[in-house]
Amino acid sequence: MLHGFSYHSPTSLDELLSLLDAHREKAVVFSGGTDLFVAIRAGLAKPEHVIDLKKVPDLAKLAFDEANGLHIGATVTVNQLVEYPTVRDRYPVLRVAGDELATFQLRNRATVVGNIVTASPCGDMGSPLLCLGATVTLVSARGSRTMPIKEFITGVKKTQIAPNEIVSAITVPADHIDAAGGYKKLKRIKGHDLGVVSVAAIKSKSARRFAISSAAPTPVLLEDFPIDVDVDRVQESAQKAISPIDDVRCTAEYRSFMVNVFIKRLLGEVA
Amino acid sequence: MKRVSLTINGEKYARDVSEHKTLLHFLREDLGLTGTKEGCGAGECGACTIMMNGKAVNSCLVLAVEADGAELETIEGVAKGGTLSKVQDAFHRRHAVQCGFCTPGMVISATDLLRRVPNPTREQIVEGIEGNFCRCTGYEQIIEAIQDAAGGGAGRAAATPKENQ
Repeated sequence: MLHGFSYHSPTSLDELLSLLDAHREKAVVFSGGTDLFVAIRAGLAKPEHVIDLKKVPDLAKLAFDEANGLHIGATVTVNQLVEYPTVRDRYPVLRVAGDELATFQLRNRATVVGNIVTASPCGDMGSPLLCLGATVTLVSARGSRTMPIKEFITGVKKTQIAPNEIVSAITVPADHIDAAGGYKKLKRIKGHDLGVVSVAAIKSKSARRFAISSAAPTPVLLEDFPIDVDVDRVQESAQKAISPIDDVRCTAEYRSFMVNVFIKRLLGEVA
Repeated sequence: MKRVSLTINGEKYARDVSEHKTLLHFLREDLGLTGTKEGCGAGECGACTIMMNGKAVNSCLVLAVEADGAELETIEGVAKGGTLSKVQDAFHRRHAVQCGFCTPGMVISATDLLRRVPNPTREQIVEGIEGNFCRCTGYEQIIEAIQDAAGGGAGRAAATPKENQ
């Protein structure tokens, strides 16, 4: 049994935002609940109001057009994303990383936006979305603002979100559509394991990009590299950018080592 | 308390339920549908897997109130008229059950996999049950049972490592 809270299921964005404005720190929003209900059960979260986003039609949008890019609404699940034809065929880095996230059942509930808002250093969507230059749109009863994911995630489970705001969507600009991509994740078992360390990579017409998760408080995006960059240069840049720690899953030394291994493999495979 | 109306295994139910009760506990405690098991309660083990509106979910991480208006399928609805489903029958014949605690969730996931991928390779089967832990069988009999239930074809052609030796 979870601790007592009131459940709300608003059916419009206005209703949702005024609820959130009224309850602020006492409220928490959710869609998949795959992080929230684990946290509530463990006593780590004790919200008085739990607000379900799934009946707000505006938040369910998953769409692509060349002008606006890929729009991923707050309630779009990871499985919806990876099965979406544009993602499947034209954003390989998202497809591969999405498939690596937790288990099939969890991906049926877990959302892409939730993975970013949770801002865990080992989240699987952070590094691919950093490579693609994605932005988040925050909305509240007072207005909306947009910022790059790079700025949105500020630390371990910390973001710029205000208590009366939600992330309504992630937007992936069309700039890197059809870029070759790959994602390598070190974990102890296949299925429901947190990443020990992971690296995402894309190769567009003009540049290569790499981003690394589980090796610093936030996912880390490296600078753009020329297509024919040699492996030493990427590895050197990565080692300067990360600050891995020792923890129950792995040592800092092994994390650093595997970042280099994955960079080398991705340079070969993302062609 | 909130009123929820839903369909489970083709039968309609309407009950008042605490807003903070999980769907798993609602099924087990309020409706007596105890076939669905609680293992970890945190979305890791898959013992609580059910179908909700056609998607496999961990019912321990769903609120009962979220299921208002939903169609659920639980292990109780898999056998029809006392006849085991293909998957259940294959689990029986292949000894894919030891302690049996993971079996309801495993059968739901396997059935869902075969609906999506009627003729899975061994690798697709392994991926299909990635969210279901079994601590007894070592998975081999479960994988063989799912290959059997798929009716041979590509599933059987992809020999197990044991058969390769």
